[in-house]
Amino acid sequence: MAINGTFPNGSANAPVEASSQPTVVGINFGNSYASIAEGLAESIANEDGERQIACAISFHGEETYIGNQAKAQLVKNASNTIVGFRNLLGKKFSELPKDKSTTSAPIIQHPDVPDEPAYKVQVLQASPSPLPPSALTTKTNTPAVSQTATPRSEPAPVDRILTPSEVATIFLKSLLQSAEDFLGKKVEGAVITVPGWFDEKQLAAVRQVAENAGINVLQLLEDAGASAVTTTAGPLADGLNPDRTQLVVDLGASSLSLTLLSIRHGLFHILASSYDSNIGGDQIDDKLIKFFAKEFTKKTKTPLTVCPSTDKADVRAEARLRLALEHTKRTISASPGAATCSVESLKDGLDFTGTINRMRFDMEARSVYSAVYAKAQELLASADLDFLHVDEIVYVGGSASLPGLDETLAQGVQESTVTPFTAGTVIGGGIGDPTTLLARGAALQAKLLAQIGHSGEDEEVRKAFEQGSTWVRAKATTRSIGILFPEESSDAELGGQWIGVIPRETAVPARRNIAFDVDLGEDGGPHRVGFEVWEVKEGVKVEKVKPPKDEDEEPLDEDEEEEEIEVKEKTIEKEGYLASVVVETKNAKKQKGRWRTRLEVQFLLGADGSVEVSAWEVGTAVSGEKASVSVPPL
Amino acid sequence: MADVLQLTVVPPPLPKSWSPQPPPAKSLSPLVDRKLIAAGPAYLAHVRRAVHNLSFEEHDK
Ligand SMILES: Nc1ncnc2c1ncn2[C@@H]1O[C@H](COP(=O)(O)OP(=O)(O)OP(=O)(O)O)[C@@H](O)[C@H]1O
Ligand SMILES: [Mg+2]
Repeated sequence: MAINGTFPNGSANAPVEASSQPTVVGINFGNSYASIAEGLAESIANEDGERQIACAISFHGEETYIGNQAKAQLVKNASNTIVGFRNLLGKKFSELPKDKSTTSAPIIQHPDVPDEPAYKVQVLQASPSPLPPSALTTKTNTPAVSQTATPRSEPAPVDRILTPSEVATIFLKSLLQSAEDFLGKKVEGAVITVPGWFDEKQLAAVRQVAENAGINVLQLLEDAGASAVTTTAGPLADGLNPDRTQLVVDLGASSLSLTLLSIRHGLFHILASSYDSNIGGDQIDDKLIKFFAKEFTKKTKTPLTVCPSTDKADVRAEARLRLALEHTKRTISASPGAATCSVESLKDGLDFTGTINRMRFDMEARSVYSAVYAKAQELLASADLDFLHVDEIVYVGGSASLPGLDETLAQGVQESTVTPFTAGTVIGGGIGDPTTLLARGAALQAKLLAQIGHSGEDEEVRKAFEQGSTWVRAKATTRSIGILFPEESSDAELGGQWIGVIPRETAVPARRNIAFDVDLGEDGGPHRVGFEVWEVKEGVKVEKVKPPKDEDEEPLDEDEEEEEIEVKEKTIEKEGYLASVVVETKNAKKQKGRWRTRLEVQFLLGADGSVEVSAWEVGTAVSGEKASVSVPPL
Repeated sequence: MADVLQLTVVPPPLPKSWSPQPPPAKSLSPLVDRKLIAAGPAYLAHVRRAVHNLSFEEHDK
């Protein structure tokens, strides 16, 4: 990596802002890729102009490569190239799956430390005074020369043993360096994303590694939390309520993480989550590699067997295609046109350029999209919910940038469900861009934490963000609560106009205020407004209906049964009456022959399960008198 | 200040026959235990209220 290279996306001497706020960043530390952001701005590019930086380190002779350059070494120098180290942090050697074949640097039992995994790579080292492997003094930990006074002799190949923690330290150090070079400032703190399924040992290992890399860790934030922070920052997308159910679809390279979140006015908790390490971008790559290999053979009459490949030339060709696909997939995500895949000297010195259009691409990737759909359905079922209850889908992870995935999931959800694709926020590095969402959320969180003061009480508040804090424990409602305006003869579900105020799965205490106009009729008054407070149960009704008759359609044969289709609908059902509120109105105004007034209603849900409902008239005049009722605590 | 969600629904006039039912001796359905994600400004506000034992209204100030 060109540590002293040019900075195509920024300057090393960026003007230092005159601000008392410390410089803090968010780091998305994936297993395959990492990225850094400061605030909501698009993530930071490293020296090579990359914003998605491959979690890879490669040793080649006396050189150390980090990031995407290291990944490129998987073609010819795979056994000295280390990838996938994040998921090994905090793991014992005996806990690792042994059957995984890998073309990258082998994982061995550490020669000196019991039950510790390690990578063995070969490097060239100046003899006779080799540097100890633990001396992480240079930026890239290149076993460089100039550190010793000993005159340099011919470098000799030696084995170097590195633990996953050591590798991760080198990597994070370089990441931090890139960010500081880009910002032109020292980074004073960082929030780092971690998978929700990491256990305490894994979290401790990440923290240790980050500290070893010189990072002041403000918080380790689970991925779903980082994404929730980003998606609740800034203005609400059209059609979204601050109280909503969000499905976070995180499709990375080697895994799929699904999280169903209850988002309640910026407070979030997980309703259900799942993790699958057999679904990811790698599977899409396998399909595409086969597709292009076939093309290659068709064009050149040169046989090429891939996925799996055994012959050495085939193995290299597969690795080359895998690298080239990064570009192909990004093109497919970014534009509706066709994308190319170009590899110089793919096999037997033959160059290859193939093209694939979006339709064909989606055909190849279909099985992965469908697997995500099935997993999402499973997850919803585990939470006793349906696709109908998903108000918003959020995409995280590189592979979730593919529009074909969104099109697949759209078949399940309601038309009103908001996705970053329907909201138009994916394109051009918008707020919904799945590849930057985590780093941005972590960065916002870092800013939030940096703003907390240092008084005694503030320190207590700060502790609430620490791992294992008891402040995260909360009680939440199990039924939705709202108000019902009774009607004389109503065919509405509940016998009147229903307004949901606090959906189930809302953590207490909670406060909600709503305002709306009320129709008071034609009579001159005095007027009063009355409504009932109810708990309701939500469900789904499935009906089999005959499809609407198509005029032009040929009449069916007599013995041919017309096929019924399933129609699903959300339902609500009265569960329990809680109270009634009556407001005598004084501010009613006549509009087009009918009297109207505007009402504000407030719900206060106590931590003890008590409910206080108040209503008052609002208008140009002074606010009206408050009418209140209380429901006793549980 | 509380965020007020401005709605567009317009409930109809009250039926003449309606009178407020007495509240039943009933509370909310039981609450369940959940774990909040320690992130975002709303969580910070939630904790501040809890630490200082403030109501929403007191915290607004
Ligand atoms: N714009 C894009 N369109 C399609 N695929 C992309 C795009 N950008 C990245 N990818 C793919 O996304 C994957 C990486 O995703 P991400 O950075 O989320 O991984 P990760 O979380 O580190 O991985 P893992 O699932 O292994 O933990 C790779 O397969 C990469 O090729
Ligand atoms: Mg990931």
